[in-house]
Amino acid sequence: MTDSAAPVVLIVEDEPDVAETYNLWLADEYEVRIAGDGDEGLDKLDEEVDVVLLDRMMPGLSGDEVLERIRERELGCRVAMVTAVEPDFDILEMGFDAYLSKPIRSEELIETVEKLLERSTYDRLLQKYYALVEKQATLETAKSGAELAESDEYAQLQDRIAGLQEELSQTMGGVEDDADFITAIQQIGGSEDT
Amino acid sequence: MYDLSSVLETEAVSEVRPGTSILIAGPAMTGKESLAMEILAEGSRKGDGALVVSTSDSAETIVEDYRDRVAGVSNLQLGVVDCRAEGSGGGLADGDTPSGLYVHKVSSPGDLTGIGIGITKCLEALHGAGAEEGRMALISLSTMLTYTDRETVFKFCHVLSSRLDAAGYIGVFTIDSGAHDDQTLQVIKQAFDGLVDVRDADAGREARVMGLTDGPTDWQSL
Repeated sequence: MTDSAAPVVLIVEDEPDVAETYNLWLADEYEVRIAGDGDEGLDKLDEEVDVVLLDRMMPGLSGDEVLERIRERELGCRVAMVTAVEPDFDILEMGFDAYLSKPIRSEELIETVEKLLERSTYDRLLQKYYALVEKQATLETAKSGAELAESDEYAQLQDRIAGLQEELSQTMGGVEDDADFITAIQQIGGSEDT
Repeated sequence: MYDLSSVLETEAVSEVRPGTSILIAGPAMTGKESLAMEILAEGSRKGDGALVVSTSDSAETIVEDYRDRVAGVSNLQLGVVDCRAEGSGGGLADGDTPSGLYVHKVSSPGDLTGIGIGITKCLEALHGAGAEEGRMALISLSTMLTYTDRETVFKFCHVLSSRLDAAGYIGVFTIDSGAHDDQTLQVIKQAFDGLVDVRDADAGREARVMGLTDGPTDWQSL
């Protein structure tokens, strides 16, 4: 599948064999871009990229530095950090969305990419849901119960909210496990300390 | 199913589905917090896990009060996330935490990631101790709303409710209805499955339940 609708995965990995292996596993389902180091990774990154597989230990720019620059550019992409050891929760505060410990199996890689794409869907739905809920609250505080009962706009809004609620409950990408839960919270902007 | 009918005295809450999140709303000094804690205590008496996320009281105070509330319960399993802006990390007294007690401190009620990590660690510990069922209380959303905007709080509640759902727990969250404008209250309410309204009436404190049954229940004294 190489049509333009396929999600885009960017692999940033300094070992060509490893990058090529990931590519083989992903190429059927996704449009894959490969970068051999951090600088090239940042060059190949744009709005179209959905998921970045980022090796943490690379010569030149480290994975951590690349991650920082990705976040500075405020692109909506999800980043899976590829690490040598499994990090603790606290390291999740660094701002990546998932981690993979080497060596990575194919199912594991595919699962992670799918999960990150699902989480993007969840965030998008939650954002949409919030916008509608706010609109509903505005109507409810501005109009009387009788006016609301007669309002087609209000009835439609309620239908859409109910529909989104249903969709959200089926998209559990945000909270399937503990690490997902933490990154889902980070995504809603709760990481800024006061 | 969770039976809250002995605390709220209405059949509407005699079979609350695991994963349900409930907002307790009312003016200041109407016993919202006490109601939330009693819902947890009722669970502890049956062996459920209890998790308190507090923005106002210290972990030490919460633990002391809770122990009094559930006096006589053996094998109490209590997790506390203390999010007052005082220090972070560590247990109740530097690793000297008694068994069945899990404390996590967070630097600020606005540090949602820290709160999330605390909740995760407590849920893990409670599960590890065999508390397959449990109840969480977050006290209070009003404080969180002073640290961060309502959109963030709304989304946080939604994500947290999903996490509790995955854990099979129920959650109760308190909000001071006098501290926010109507629109904010309307928005926040929408993040929950049910609502318990509390008020001070001539005859004493009363509560009614909405959202968990077809229509609202009548006001019942607490």
